[in-house]
Amino acid sequence: MTLSLIAIAVLLLLMLARVPIAFAMALVGGVGFAIMRGWGPAGSMVGNAVFETGLNYSLSVVPLFIFMGNVLAGSGIAQGLFAAANRVFGKMRGGLAMASVLSCGGFSAVSGSSLATAATMAKVAMPSMRAFGYADSLAAGSIAAGGTLGILIPPSVVLIIFGLLTEADIGKLFLAGILPGMLGIVGYLVAVLVAVRLNPGLAPQGVAAAPLTRSDAVSVAAVLALFAFIMIGIYGGFFTPIEAAGMGAAFALLIAAATGGLSRLKLWRAFLDSATASAMIFVIIIGAEIFGNFITFAGLPDTLASVIGDMGLSPWLVLILIVLVYMVLGCFLESLSMILLTVPVFYPLVMNLDFGLVSLQDPEAVLIWFAIIVVVVTEISLITPPVGMNVFVLRTVLPDVPLGTIFRGVVPFWIADIVRLAIIIALPVLSLYLVG
Amino acid sequence: MTHPDAPPPDMIPGRTPHVQATWYRLLAAMAALLILSLIAVTCIDVVGRYLMNRPFGGAFELTQMLLAALVFVALPLTTADGGHVEVDLALHLLPPAAQAALGWFAGLVSAVVLGVFAWRLVLIGAAQLHEGTRSASLALPMAPLAFLAAASCAVSAIAVLMRRGRT
Amino acid sequence: EELILSSWLPPRHPIVVNAIEPWAEEVAEVTEGRVTVRIMARPLGTPPAHFDMARDGVADITYGLHSFTEDDRFERAKLGQFSFLGDDAVTNSQAYWDIYTGQLDASAEHAGTRLLGLFMHGPGLLHNNQRKIETPADMAGMKIRVPGGYAGDLVAALGAAPLFMSSPEVYERLSRGVIDGVAFTYEAMTAFNLTDHIKYSMTVPGGIYNTTWFLVMNEGKWEGLSEADRAAIDAISGPAFAERVGKAWNDADIAAKEEVGDKVEFHEASPEVVTALREAASALEAQWAEGLGEYDGLAALAEFRKRTGVGIE
Ligand code: NA
Ligand code: NA
Repeated sequence: MTLSLIAIAVLLLLMLARVPIAFAMALVGGVGFAIMRGWGPAGSMVGNAVFETGLNYSLSVVPLFIFMGNVLAGSGIAQGLFAAANRVFGKMRGGLAMASVLSCGGFSAVSGSSLATAATMAKVAMPSMRAFGYADSLAAGSIAAGGTLGILIPPSVVLIIFGLLTEADIGKLFLAGILPGMLGIVGYLVAVLVAVRLNPGLAPQGVAAAPLTRSDAVSVAAVLALFAFIMIGIYGGFFTPIEAAGMGAAFALLIAAATGGLSRLKLWRAFLDSATASAMIFVIIIGAEIFGNFITFAGLPDTLASVIGDMGLSPWLVLILIVLVYMVLGCFLESLSMILLTVPVFYPLVMNLDFGLVSLQDPEAVLIWFAIIVVVVTEISLITPPVGMNVFVLRTVLPDVPLGTIFRGVVPFWIADIVRLAIIIALPVLSLYLVG
Repeated sequence: MTHPDAPPPDMIPGRTPHVQATWYRLLAAMAALLILSLIAVTCIDVVGRYLMNRPFGGAFELTQMLLAALVFVALPLTTADGGHVEVDLALHLLPPAAQAALGWFAGLVSAVVLGVFAWRLVLIGAAQLHEGTRSASLALPMAPLAFLAAASCAVSAIAVLMRRGRT
Repeated sequence: EELILSSWLPPRHPIVVNAIEPWAEEVAEVTEGRVTVRIMARPLGTPPAHFDMARDGVADITYGLHSFTEDDRFERAKLGQFSFLGDDAVTNSQAYWDIYTGQLDASAEHAGTRLLGLFMHGPGLLHNNQRKIETPADMAGMKIRVPGGYAGDLVAALGAAPLFMSSPEVYERLSRGVIDGVAFTYEAMTAFNLTDHIKYSMTVPGGIYNTTWFLVMNEGKWEGLSEADRAAIDAISGPAFAERVGKAWNDADIAAKEEVGDKVEFHEASPEVVTALREAASALEAQWAEGLGEYDGLAALAEFRKRTGVGIE
């Protein structure tokens, strides 16, 4: 226990010194394991973690769902989505920010990754908002927050990893994410409305948007077609959620070829970006595995579970405590690392709680509901300082906007997320309705 | 194929324009080929089972092995790009000399970790060679994959240090 | 002394609850608390890594399947992976322990570890959702998920198409019609939720396949225990553990059979099918025995069947 706390402190220090999170976790986990078990066993454990992670069949969705999103991004689909959303909201004050949110949600439906959504939409929506005199805070905030929708609206790499960790049915997890994801879009739209009402200086008066062009309509149709292809494929029984990634990537390539929007250079970039992003994610998974083995060995999960169990708290209070732990961890940890480190600790605990609701009598229902809660908390962590990955993405796209400004712009969306989280916790049926 | 002035990929925070060296392009081309192969394996399996009632028996383990190959082929690229996720908090408040020192420290830690990965993977590969480890249905030998992974981690360790040397 | 046991099966799996956990508790009892076993909340590596993990000391005690890794290490272990071996997991496991550790020198194949247990489950069946298999021809073209090399060769010899995938993937693929059937135990029907996607289950006397498992401890850790403690642990391991874990498998099979009820049509393989299976099986058995060098695999198999009372000629 003491050793795990020291290890966590060292891990945070290494991360503050800009050691990449993956390597910091691997180092602390490996050395910690060696202290408890000896260097030989630690070396063997590390080697296995590195070699076996790459061979994990289910993780093949990581490069393929990311590639699918990158191909569509390269084909200019995001511009079309933004233009179409702009037709809906353009005339309202803050309309471009609302269009950003909506098109982020739309792009999420064909992207497996939050970072990819935020990076893609930033390039599309940010220039327009700046040209029309939107405050940098609102403009960047709406994209950073909108990008987080990518991990709840299926397909979602994070939900698949949750399924891997807990043996939950990935097809059901995807269904469960739809309604809470749509609630997220609505919440963000309201957040924009309230923000510009309270501070009209954030956004200019709305302007009539340009009429929808044919290519905009094609973009919207393409996204709808791809989303339908994936969902019908999975739920019509044609392919598994894992296979959906490969099939979706092929379909995206077909769309790109049909619309002709993807130049050879952009296709090349889509390949390169998907490969490098995948390696980045896999190294984090490897690091988390090594660190997780050490923490498991040191007995932290057992201790934590028994401490909470011994307190004899009501199930709802336990759940809220867990959510609070996530909120605190979410400030510091990168989202994937957080899920990899915490879900194995908490899900057995949560599955055994009796919430006294008919809808939650089945442990599987509890697990799916908990998955959605965890993903929403993770979405929140993506925009919570000091470590908010989506905010970092925005800063690399907009080097001249200070980090503080983006975090300020995120505040209304952060509040909307907290409200949504409360609703999802209070009404499990929202997550479970489509699962049946 | 790539344009020399192509903008740096901005998906990953803190990334710098990548090296346009031959080795980089070669690995990138291999990674692209591996992604295409992953897509092709799934499509052949899924389409084959409906059109010809003939699923592709090796799809499962071919996917596993292509995935592992992709990850390790791409790792040196991510590393050379500085594409690993870092926490960027208050470091810019420190004096430049301290920042540089921390940069070297972080690079050294990363290189050591990658070096240990490489060393352990060589041991795994040697054991697999000795034990004749192969995949279950296609009987493909596993050792080459372990050696590829080892080489990838070793190259990545060098790439980390070279990057620190440049900046 | 606290020994670390890494467990990769789901925590509520019958083998964990009714064999591994009780055994771990009994270790503490028989050593009067001098040796305790702590089961990790989650495994310290992937399932296939578990033998190496005990050998290298990542954990002290692990269990797993010999067929996890496809390599040349556990050739003689395949003794327990053939057809027609026995319908009772206790008898199977005890015969397997005695014969494999006896004439086939199991310890040599588990070098670097102390062998604490060897076991098998109940009989493997052939489940499918297409048709009742009455003649070998009914199997032609059927896509069957098999657990490993031998079962794959066997169903291929009867004209079916063997497919490999991890056990949790079976549900996805069976329900989507990607596969038509699966070689599995009774227990797996309910454990993997397959009941609604299976129509016919064919039993074969002695099982169409089986899997073999090990329970091992790091050799250095074992040597470090006092002689008295080693003797005490030995007394509840080996054949005693085979009985315990065999009973756990049997109970799981019985519970599964009750749960499935008449939702699936169980039928015995016709003499015609059995003959065809035997023919294919003996060729594969002979091929296996050939590669064992000085060890007499066929004699070991005959001895095994004598112990379990499965007549084959
Ligand atoms: Na998504
Ligand atoms: Na955060």
